[in-house]
Amino acid sequence: MAKQAAKKTDNTTRWIVLAMVSLVVITGVVFSLFGQSNKESASIAGLDGYKLKPAVTSTIDTANGSAITFDNGSATVIDVWEDPQCPVCKYFEDANGEYLDSLIREKKATVRFHVLSFLGDESVRAANASFCAADENQYLDFHKALYSVQSELENSGFWSNETLVEIGKKIGITSTRFENCVTKGEKVDLVQANSDSMSKYGVQGTPTVFINGKLWERTQNAFVLEEFKAAVEGA
Amino acid sequence: MKSLLVKNQPWITLLSRLILGGVLLAAGGLKVGKPTESANATAAYKILPTDLAHLIGYALPWIEVAVGLLLIIGVMVRYSAIFSGLLMIVFIGAIASVWARGMLIDCGCFGGGGEIDPSLKSQVHRAYFTEIMRDLGLALCALYLYLFPYGKLSIEKQAQPIEE
Repeated sequence: MAKQAAKKTDNTTRWIVLAMVSLVVITGVVFSLFGQSNKESASIAGLDGYKLKPAVTSTIDTANGSAITFDNGSATVIDVWEDPQCPVCKYFEDANGEYLDSLIREKKATVRFHVLSFLGDESVRAANASFCAADENQYLDFHKALYSVQSELENSGFWSNETLVEIGKKIGITSTRFENCVTKGEKVDLVQANSDSMSKYGVQGTPTVFINGKLWERTQNAFVLEEFKAAVEGA
Repeated sequence: MKSLLVKNQPWITLLSRLILGGVLLAAGGLKVGKPTESANATAAYKILPTDLAHLIGYALPWIEVAVGLLLIIGVMVRYSAIFSGLLMIVFIGAIASVWARGMLIDCGCFGGGGEIDPSLKSQVHRAYFTEIMRDLGLALCALYLYLFPYGKLSIEKQAQPIEE
């Protein structure tokens, strides 16, 4: 008798422990999920009041990996290889994006953006949308907006075509042509061409930067504007 | 030698609980505060569909903390041992699968994770080997605890046979 009773209470304890563990795990998962989607919607809200800069015409340089190219006849040529979802590319953009932008707008360098997409479906969609924005002559702003809302979680479901259209609208790319181009995935061939050209240039990861065809690498862990600036000016 | 092992079984059980539970608690504890990093790390194995991998990445740190605590305080040791033993086998399988597919990633075992630069190939391969050996050792701890769940400093005590 006594033995049976002891066994019964033991089982109850076991169930209570199991229930508590499950509760902790479920709470943890729910909080993580909500935290993630909150962060993502907050980043979109951060684009409110964005001032679109003047349009800059770009071309697709089929001879050089079908990159989005801002060719202004400058002697300095910079090749930037990026995946829109790559976190280190965001660090590069945060440090050197404004400077690169000014080089293009002030015609001090020809810049080719090779938009890669090896980090998954959301990279493909974002790359497609980038080429669509280039057709509207607004690649520079769209590129900047993409990195400013980049999710810390890759392929989280955040960069749907709807969100990408919304990002465009928020910063002032409102044409139906852009919207159709994004939702129909009209530029996937270009996305593929960019990704196919990686091996030809020996690019294995992102960000990879060439200045006048020569690989440029940071010497410190972080990207420092002065270091990049000196490399460009010395080229 | 054999009698020594039998005599010290309660102490070996305690040691196994502290090793297995301690590693799980540390691994989970370092990751619970960084759910995004953990979700990215799980997805980097490219074994499960991305969404499912993210969910597991969110859940795993909490599970590790919970099971680690149960082992350390000595509650439901046998069940926790079965669970963590299976977990270690899954980890070993996942690392072996990544290695076999020629991928270079950080296992994200104690935080971190994600792809690694190809220039570090040999270091990554050495890390895979160490990780598999470590998880194998932990699986052996789990096996021992499955066989001998009751030991020193444990909340749950072995039910004493009652003399009629």
